[in-house]
Amino acid sequence: MHNIVYLDHAAATPVSEKVLAAMLPYMTGDKFYNPGAAYLPAVQVRREYEQAKDRIAHAIGGKGSEILMTAGATESINLAFTAVGAVGLDSEILVSEIEHKSVMEAARNARSDFRTIRVTSGGIADLDDLRKKITPRTRLISVALVNGELGTVQPLSDIAAMVRAERERRLAIGDASPLWLHSDASQGVGLLDVHVARLGVDMLTLNAAKVYGPKQVGALWARAGIKLQPIVVGGGQESGLRSGTENVAGAVGLAMAIEEAERTKSSELQRVGELKTAFIASLYHTLHEKAIAEPKKVAIIGEKKRQLASFIPLTITGIDAERLVFALENRSVLVGTGAACAASRGEHSHVLRAIGLSDEQIAGSLRITLGKLNTLENTKRAAEIIAEEIAKECHRQFG
Amino acid sequence: MNKRVYLGMSGGVDSAVSAVLLQEKGYDVTGVYMKNWSRDLPGAKCPWADDLADAKRVAVQLGIDFRVVDFQAEYKHKVVDYMLTEFQAGRTPNPDVMCNQEVKFKLFFEMAMEQGAVFIATGHYAQTKDGQLLRARDEKKDQTYFLYRISEEALERTIFPVGGMLKSEVKALAAERGLPVAAKKESMGICFVGNVGMREFLSEFLPLKPGEIRDADTDAVLGHHESAVFYTIGQRHGLYLGGGLPYYVSGKDMEKNIVYVSRDLNNADLWQTAASLVDLSFISGRAPSDGKYLVRVRHQAPLVPADVSFTGEEATVVFQSEQRALTPGQSVVIYSGEFGEVCLGGGVIEPPRSKAKKQ
Repeated sequence: MHNIVYLDHAAATPVSEKVLAAMLPYMTGDKFYNPGAAYLPAVQVRREYEQAKDRIAHAIGGKGSEILMTAGATESINLAFTAVGAVGLDSEILVSEIEHKSVMEAARNARSDFRTIRVTSGGIADLDDLRKKITPRTRLISVALVNGELGTVQPLSDIAAMVRAERERRLAIGDASPLWLHSDASQGVGLLDVHVARLGVDMLTLNAAKVYGPKQVGALWARAGIKLQPIVVGGGQESGLRSGTENVAGAVGLAMAIEEAERTKSSELQRVGELKTAFIASLYHTLHEKAIAEPKKVAIIGEKKRQLASFIPLTITGIDAERLVFALENRSVLVGTGAACAASRGEHSHVLRAIGLSDEQIAGSLRITLGKLNTLENTKRAAEIIAEEIAKECHRQFG
Repeated sequence: MNKRVYLGMSGGVDSAVSAVLLQEKGYDVTGVYMKNWSRDLPGAKCPWADDLADAKRVAVQLGIDFRVVDFQAEYKHKVVDYMLTEFQAGRTPNPDVMCNQEVKFKLFFEMAMEQGAVFIATGHYAQTKDGQLLRARDEKKDQTYFLYRISEEALERTIFPVGGMLKSEVKALAAERGLPVAAKKESMGICFVGNVGMREFLSEFLPLKPGEIRDADTDAVLGHHESAVFYTIGQRHGLYLGGGLPYYVSGKDMEKNIVYVSRDLNNADLWQTAASLVDLSFISGRAPSDGKYLVRVRHQAPLVPADVSFTGEEATVVFQSEQRALTPGQSVVIYSGEFGEVCLGGGVIEPPRSKAKKQ
């Protein structure tokens, strides 16, 4: 399949040439050694592994010793949530009701009570609701930097301020029980500031697969002093928290990917923003041309002012988005399906449900996410094709 | 107005090619995915969601209507519960036969007719002519063994678009048309659960009940089994009785929970010259006259000559040559015509009565 227009960057990104080149010596080249071996070439690999962690940490304003390498964001999240188990049973976790399944399940899995923070109809965590729900038993709050279905940027620094105030309140009455803020930054890296101090988080999840790095590679940054519990036992690698021979190539790949992401962040944000504007203009223009009587049926969901430039989540009320996905794949346009597919199978997206969408709107939802594979030309072309296929489906459905 | 056909689409290549063929003949085709089973089993993800997506993908590519019908409750009741009951009674039921009888050519057929379809179609390898069920052109793929219990009423309004083709031709056509399921692997294991063996499936639903494995010839206890339902007459695998010549299951005593095995390939329990059939069913609704027919004792088994006589609700089949391991619960399907081209119907094999179980 050539001439594909890929519009699903939130699902996966291709490994960049630069990242791949950096990784190869640790797989096929002269650096394949087990970093735990005693001979000097292996020790050198070990050093480069630690350097990779330093580089990852540096990119987010942390220390290398605070980085734990994992097999992706899901594992990082699972690891972060072990912090709660380490501080006893009388505890509570708060997560926003639009968190990714991995956060929801990690919260359910933790030996702790767990409550959800409401979101607005635009898909932003409701700070008043959070304020009400923080109690002396709250140990962990987890809110993603960017929601993976809506692209809404969450008010992390406001949440962090609340967390600081609650800590201060506790300390003032002699209560030293911990309260941490964790955020999954998978969807924000490369476009947003992910500096841990500026975000005000205590733990941050990173995912190489979303920033032009390899799949099954992630990291958890956890502020020094946070006690975590092992998720994989064995030879004691990663401070005993995640045993198994280190994925040096993966760590180097993530380091290279995140450095590249940081370097191109502001220009890419602007570029993607322009693509989004062009996409929307082209989409609506073609819809009008195709005489979709009710362009109101086609709507972008999520609060516009707070939406990351790369996200265009659409809902076309009354049509089956999965049909649209298949029709588009026949025209070499690949769009995100997650929520739509789940809906057609009777599993409604909890995210879309939480922001108050109807079953019909959920079944008709598509997620378009832009990235480095998109140019102005292919973005506009894809928007036209999408509008044409929407028109076809609408004519099928509504005559 | 083009004639409306409801086509059962499973997500496989046969029903996808069926859609193409119907469309080319000018039918107004609606693809229907029957959601019969969606429960995952430990270690095996139920493939229904992927299959549904594949079916829908083909429908969208061809521009035909597509819908999903949920038959899960009926399927559980009519097929799965029946299957479990049969296994517990010591028989080896055939869920495909039951699914065709109760779901595809009954529920689906009735739904299609109610909704204004003139025909139903499926990707089965079988043919029809004047209300008769005929074997497929591709002998290796012929599925009439699974279809012998469907009604004439349904059959008269059924199209089997690939029944006159070889499987290789179906695959070639799928590739030529660029159907997205052209290269899809054929499913293994139980049709509706995915890549899961019957043993794993039964373990989920029936409690294990360990018992003895005895030598059918000496009555010596050779070992123990986890559950007698896992064993089928004639089966060779899964006995784990140590080295030497293989053992074959030659009989089961469900009451005493004993599985009998034999090393003797000529063990009388493993070979039958006759079978009694119950629960008879015929496409035409009526039993044919007594006489010589060609019969099939399991799916893909060769047609063999036999004398069949009908007495009321039962039939007796006397084979021209001995048959190995006739399996109670499976069917003997009866064919007429010089080459056995017409599938008349058949019945379910009863456990042999003449051979009393060992004491």
